[in-house]
Amino acid sequence: MVPEPIPPETARRRKIVGVNAETVTNVTSTDFPGHHPGEDHEWSLEKFSQNLEVQFHKNDPLDASFSLVGIDASIANAFRRIMIAEIPTLAIETVFVHNNTSIVQDEVLAARLGLVPLTASLSGLNWLQFYKKPATQDDDEGADDTDTAADNNTIVLKLHVECAWRGAEGIKSGETDPEKLYVNSSVYAKQITFEPTGRQNSEFPEPDGLVRPVNPEILLAKMRPGQIIELDMHCIKGIGADHAKFSPVATATYRLLPTIDIVKPIVGNDARKFARCFPKGVIGSEDVTEEESETSKELEGMAGEKKAVVRNTFKDTVSRECLRHEEFRGKVKLGRVRDHFIFSVESTGQFDSDYLFLESVKTLKAKCSRLKRQFANVMR
Amino acid sequence: MPSALASEASEDQPMLNAPAESRESVATNPYETSIGLSDQRIRMLPGASDTAASFEFEAEDHTLGNALRYMVMKNPEVELCGYSIPHPSEAKMNLRIQTYDGTTVYDVLEKGFDDLMGLCDVVIDKFTVTRDNFNDAKEKT
Amino acid sequence: MSREAYAPPTLQPSSSNANTNTTDIAGPSTPYECGECSAKLQLKKGDAIRCKECGHRVLLKTRTKRMVQFEAR
Repeated sequence: MVPEPIPPETARRRKIVGVNAETVTNVTSTDFPGHHPGEDHEWSLEKFSQNLEVQFHKNDPLDASFSLVGIDASIANAFRRIMIAEIPTLAIETVFVHNNTSIVQDEVLAARLGLVPLTASLSGLNWLQFYKKPATQDDDEGADDTDTAADNNTIVLKLHVECAWRGAEGIKSGETDPEKLYVNSSVYAKQITFEPTGRQNSEFPEPDGLVRPVNPEILLAKMRPGQIIELDMHCIKGIGADHAKFSPVATATYRLLPTIDIVKPIVGNDARKFARCFPKGVIGSEDVTEEESETSKELEGMAGEKKAVVRNTFKDTVSRECLRHEEFRGKVKLGRVRDHFIFSVESTGQFDSDYLFLESVKTLKAKCSRLKRQFANVMR
Repeated sequence: MPSALASEASEDQPMLNAPAESRESVATNPYETSIGLSDQRIRMLPGASDTAASFEFEAEDHTLGNALRYMVMKNPEVELCGYSIPHPSEAKMNLRIQTYDGTTVYDVLEKGFDDLMGLCDVVIDKFTVTRDNFNDAKEKT
Repeated sequence: MSREAYAPPTLQPSSSNANTNTTDIAGPSTPYECGECSAKLQLKKGDAIRCKECGHRVLLKTRTKRMVQFEAR
C-alpha cells in the first residue's frame, strides 16, 4: 500500500500548538505510524536528516542560543535534561579546615566553596577520571572497588588567608573603610590556589590551563585583623544529578517558536494598539494597497491606511495580551511551532556552551550503546 | 555533615599517582559511578512474551525513557510503547512494549536504540557544521 | 527515667571519668582567648571569668587544633 502524501495545509495545522487566552490546543504530537490511517510516519533517518535544521543565533562561551527545527519534544528534552544533570564537571567536594576563626562557620564556608564554578584546560578536564567514594559505615561491607585519591581523580586546592592591619602609613585618621584599614578583609575566590601533583603538572599547564575559579571576584568571607582561614580542598568530577554544584550550566532551556496569525486585517488605530500588545519588532505596519481595498471586503475603501503585519515572531514572549482586547476578537490566532526548539544554554564557565550541547548529544548516544550492549544479555 | 577526623596524626598524606595505563575514560552516566559501569542495568519483568514485555532500566529516568519511547513508537510494527517511573524515590524506569505479530520486543527495542543513536549522529553533524559556519561568518565581519 | 537513678554531681570528680586535659592537682584547665585584647589564658574550674591582662569579662574558647573535614554540599 502506497502511503498517502500529507497535504501541506494539514501538515501545517498539525505543526501548530494553539495558544488561547486560557487554554492550549493540539498539544501532543501525532506523528506516529497508525495514528493517521494511510499515512507514513515510520522512522526514517534519511527523512529526519533532510528535515532537521539548525540555526545559530548567538554563540558566546557563556551564552549560546540556537534553534533545532524538525525534532520531537522528547528528544529535545533529553538533550536539555542531559546538559543540566548528566555532563560531568569538576567541583570542590571535600573541605579540610585546619583553622577558621572568621565569622563564617566551617560548614557554611564549605557549602559556599562547593558552589564556586571552577575551570581548567579542556584536555586536562577530559583526562581526569571519576573518583569513587569509599563506602560509608552504613553501607554494606566489602566494597573494595573504591578509589584512593590520586593525581588522575582528585584536584587539591588551598586557601590560606589571614587578615591584618595595613599599618598607619597613608591612612587618614577617622578612616572607616575596612578595605583601606586591613589587608584581606575580604576573601575572594581568586585567592584559592592550585596544588598540582604528578601528571597534573603537565595536564594543567600554566597559565591558562590551571585549575582556577571562573569568576575571580566571588566573595567567600569577610574578616577582621587577627582572623584566619586555612583550609585544603579536594575537587572531584561529578554530575548535576548528584548535586547542583556539578551542573555545567547555569540555565539550559528551550522554548517553541511563537506564531501569530492575523486572520482578519487589523487597520488604523487598532493596528497601532495591536503592535503595542507585543514586544518591539514583532508587529510592523504596512499601507493598505489599492488592490487590497478592491479585492478584500474588510479593507474596502481603506487604501492608504496602516494595517498590522507580523514581522518577527522570534521576539514574541507569547504574553497573550492581544487576546484580552475586545477589538481583536476573532482577528488573531496565537500559537507555537511544535518542532521548532529555540535553545538557550548558559554555561557556568567550565566548558563552552556549544560544546556542552554537543556533549549532551554524545552522552545520549553513549547511553544508548551501553544499554544496547547490556540488552543483549537480557535476550539470553 | 562534618566528620571530625580521628586524630591530629591524620593530616594530609601525599597523594598517589595513578599507574599510567589506567586510561579508560568515557563520559559516564551519573549513577554509573555509584552503580558500576559493567553492572547489568536492564531486567525483564515477569509475565513477558515475545510480543509483549516490560523492561526495567536501573538508574534511568525521563531523559532516556521518553526519548526511547518516542523512537520505539515510530516503528510501525509496534502496537504500544510507554514508560513509567513507578516510584520517585527508586531510580528505576519501566518501559512497556507490545508489538504486532511477526516481530519481537527484542528486535523492536534494539531498533529503538539504533535509531536513537543514528539520530544523535545526525544532530552532531548538523550542529557542528552550522556552528562552524556561524563562527566563520562572525569572524569575517 | 526514675528519680532514684539520678546521681547528684559531686565536688570530687570520680576517678573513672578523669580529666583528659592538662592535669595538675587543681584539675583540668581550658585555653581561652580574651575577647578584648586577644591575650591567651588558661582557666581552671572556679577561676574568675576575667582576662588577666585587661580585666575584660568576655572570654572566647579557642578553636581545636585538629583538622576538621566537611563535605562541600
